[in-house]
Amino acid sequence: MATTVTEPGLRRVERLERIWVEPRGLLGWLTTTDHKRIGLLYFFTTLAFFGAGGIEALLMRTQLSQPEEKVLSPETYNQLMTMHGVTMIFLFVIPMAIGAFGNYLVPLMIGARDMAFPRLNALSFWLFLASGLFMYASVFMHAAPNAGWFDYVPLALKPYSPGRNIDFYALGLIFNGISSTAAALNFIVTIFKLRAPGMSMNRMPLFCFAMLAVSLSLIFALPSLTIDLVFLELQRNLGFHFFDVPHGGDPLLWQHLFWLFGHPEVYIIILPAFGIATSIIPTFSKRKMIAFPLVALAELLVAFIGFGVWAHHMFATGLPTITLVFFAAASMMVVIPSTIQVFAWTVTVALGRPEFRAPLMFIGGFIVFFVLGGLSGIMFAAIPFDQATTDTYFVVAHFHFIIFGAAVFPILGGMFYWFPKVTGRLYHEGAAKFSFWLAFVGTALTFFPMHVVGLLGMTRRVYTYPSSLGWDAYNLSETIGAFILTAGLLLIFANLAYSRFRGAPAGPDPFFGGTLEWTTTSPPPPYNFPVIPTVKSAYPNWDVEDRRADAARLERGELVFDEGHETPASTVVDAVPDEIVEMPSESPWPLAVAVCTGLLFVMLLTRHYAVAGVFAGLALLAVAAWHAKEPLET
Amino acid sequence: MSALPHSGKATTPRAVARVERARLARPNGWWGMAIFVATEATLFGTILGTYFYLRFNNLHWPPPGVPEPKLTLPLVLTAILVSTSVPVQLSVSAAARGQLPRARAALLFAAVLQAGYLGMQLHLFVHDVHEFPPSGSAYSSIYFTMLGAHHLHVFVGILLTLWILIRTASGLTSYRMNGLRATAFYWHFVNVLALCVLGTQLSPLA
Amino acid sequence: MRTRGLAVGPEFLQWFGLFGAALTWTVQLVVGFGVTIARCGPANAVLGVDVKAWEVALMAAGIALVLLSEGAALSVLWETRNVDESGPPPEGRRRFFAVAASIGNLFFLVIIVLSGTGAVVHQPCHPA
Repeated sequence: MATTVTEPGLRRVERLERIWVEPRGLLGWLTTTDHKRIGLLYFFTTLAFFGAGGIEALLMRTQLSQPEEKVLSPETYNQLMTMHGVTMIFLFVIPMAIGAFGNYLVPLMIGARDMAFPRLNALSFWLFLASGLFMYASVFMHAAPNAGWFDYVPLALKPYSPGRNIDFYALGLIFNGISSTAAALNFIVTIFKLRAPGMSMNRMPLFCFAMLAVSLSLIFALPSLTIDLVFLELQRNLGFHFFDVPHGGDPLLWQHLFWLFGHPEVYIIILPAFGIATSIIPTFSKRKMIAFPLVALAELLVAFIGFGVWAHHMFATGLPTITLVFFAAASMMVVIPSTIQVFAWTVTVALGRPEFRAPLMFIGGFIVFFVLGGLSGIMFAAIPFDQATTDTYFVVAHFHFIIFGAAVFPILGGMFYWFPKVTGRLYHEGAAKFSFWLAFVGTALTFFPMHVVGLLGMTRRVYTYPSSLGWDAYNLSETIGAFILTAGLLLIFANLAYSRFRGAPAGPDPFFGGTLEWTTTSPPPPYNFPVIPTVKSAYPNWDVEDRRADAARLERGELVFDEGHETPASTVVDAVPDEIVEMPSESPWPLAVAVCTGLLFVMLLTRHYAVAGVFAGLALLAVAAWHAKEPLET
Repeated sequence: MSALPHSGKATTPRAVARVERARLARPNGWWGMAIFVATEATLFGTILGTYFYLRFNNLHWPPPGVPEPKLTLPLVLTAILVSTSVPVQLSVSAAARGQLPRARAALLFAAVLQAGYLGMQLHLFVHDVHEFPPSGSAYSSIYFTMLGAHHLHVFVGILLTLWILIRTASGLTSYRMNGLRATAFYWHFVNVLALCVLGTQLSPLA
Repeated sequence: MRTRGLAVGPEFLQWFGLFGAALTWTVQLVVGFGVTIARCGPANAVLGVDVKAWEVALMAAGIALVLLSEGAALSVLWETRNVDESGPPPEGRRRFFAVAASIGNLFFLVIIVLSGTGAVVHQPCHPA
């Protein structure tokens, strides 16, 4: 949007700049409450964990490349296998999607100046970082969790796991869950209350519908995991009885509570990918998403129905048929909303004038892997088939097609798509396209043979296998594929790192996107928008007249809100402007609360309960200090 | 848009009352508490669900050697707790009209009852732990986890109430008004929860 | 808006159409699942659960409520038949919700029928 800004306009912009700018340097980053900075903190932290999880994967694949390899001991393999799962799910894919992408983009896409609770946002990040460090401390103590990422009892109980490994797991995930709950709460209130005037729910970007679905899922799913982990710790450390039969408990209780969380968790993993795909497709197809209400419905419906399918992870546990039918029925239906989305995506591209630049190519790869992974997934809804293939590599194949192929590919595509917005520079298109092909071939070669070797009987979580079973060639190709995939990923990050410093200037809108982040500068100023936009459709950046009207308002001082650290709040459903809210600025208290909480969990781990109580008290004092500073007292 | 109420600037009871009248939707802080309540309610849902799951898994409930739950005292205590929703809500409506002293008095009254409730319940809790410790059975494990979680939530509620009382000693701002609204919502949730926990706790008597 | 003699506002119909079926299925799942756990656990000797009666009742009530919810969604769909779903609120927003709800409710109907039928047809407590 090229406009000539006049004197009064410039003065307002300068005033906004002065009010919203944060200190530079380390102190600025440690006390930041700016959603864009917090998004970047999440981005780099989750990338580090991605690297750790990737190294864990490559070590495992090396061990499995040949039969009876001796690269890793069984005990080390168990720790790697568990930490790979925990890292990739809890420390990479979810925090990357919501903490990095969600945090950076949601306020921009809804036309707000920040999240509803900026200090809580910072807390979410510091808690996340602390929980990751907590869990990785276990690796350096050779006591990493080793009972698989779903940590079944009775293996996870004291008699079979006497060390601290499982306590790291349980406490670490409770800790991580606090961060995720806070983030989810923030997204819901932000999406409900801070949308720009006129952005009624039917005009909200599909990325925001996906984030809303993710956040609601986290709110309702995490408690089940939390209580399961609390029960586990109480049983392990204080002699309670939940999971052992002689005292009236039931080992299946662990599984029910775990999967009551665990299945919604996998929709939490995939929904941001849906959101990214539904952002990239309209832009590069140069048309609106077809069946917009049905795509929005599908995102929320898959999350909702996903709460009712959990026992399909337990089809082989001996539960009665009349119990399991509930879950078979819902599992068969849960695939249909995703089918609606695949239909909408492909038809939108077909009816548009598609430009296959790197972001759209990654979405193409996503659609391929999602369809294949979805097909293997729906097969598990049939109880007899599931009972034959559960705990084999067929399952490993399915979920890696979905988690890697379908959740990570859009993240990679999204990195390229929004790179110009975040950095103000363009990435190298040729290298990006080549890295797509490396990643695509690598993913296919790593995970496709797993379907076959799983049907041939190779069970999951084995640290080696004998040569006589005919699995050798498949395992070797999977390992080769993993290294090809790694090469593709390294090229992606090299491209982004290089382009950050040497890329061509991008301008505000290099791809002609439809959503509001493309109306502001690249990178956006600390206050996001000099004028809060007024929205009349779901693709406001394509409504040229409305954007010109915004520019005109700057002179007149309408919707500028430059008298303080301000943003407007509106009504929940129809986004009628309702009040002006004063936002907090930088604060050291989120970091302080996170440090106290981290020390609290360390004391719980080492069973110094009295000291743990002291740190809990300190954390509460820090929370009090935080709230003692009301936003107007800047 | 200059006609929009500016909650950040409301630092006197009268200004706060004006913002409360003008605003259409509930404030961000209320929504934040509502979502938090949703997650805590789900937490208790899983605890109560576990109670009944374990109950269905056991022929004798409570198991032999464990006394049946007491009826009268928990019932009376819960009734007292639940009744504090009235003064808490009166506190909110008084503050929303700018009547700060009345609001604080109602809140203090509620806090005294809530603290009394908690004290009695903790006394009963400690007594029960000695009589049928959690390490004895799944029944006592889930019994004490459920009650412990509930009492922890009451304790947090009392801390929230104390915080609001402390902060409003130096006047009313929109920020503190939103905090009061959020605290009141939390208490209504805790009181409904108290009824659900009581029902579950007493269910073996049915 | 008058519906069979009842005066209910379009807002109520919109929300009931959007959430009614979903909440109905939630109850049918939680209670239906719970009943099978009760029937097939050791406590059934004391509780004597008539699982078939429960599941039939849940399925019947579930189907009725889902159909009512769908009726509400369809009535809003009809009222907003000339409105664009990206149009200004409240009509545009109502249309948007009604389009989504009228399709979404069908899912819950199918799940309730499938699961209820399965729970009644199979002999209790044989492991799958």
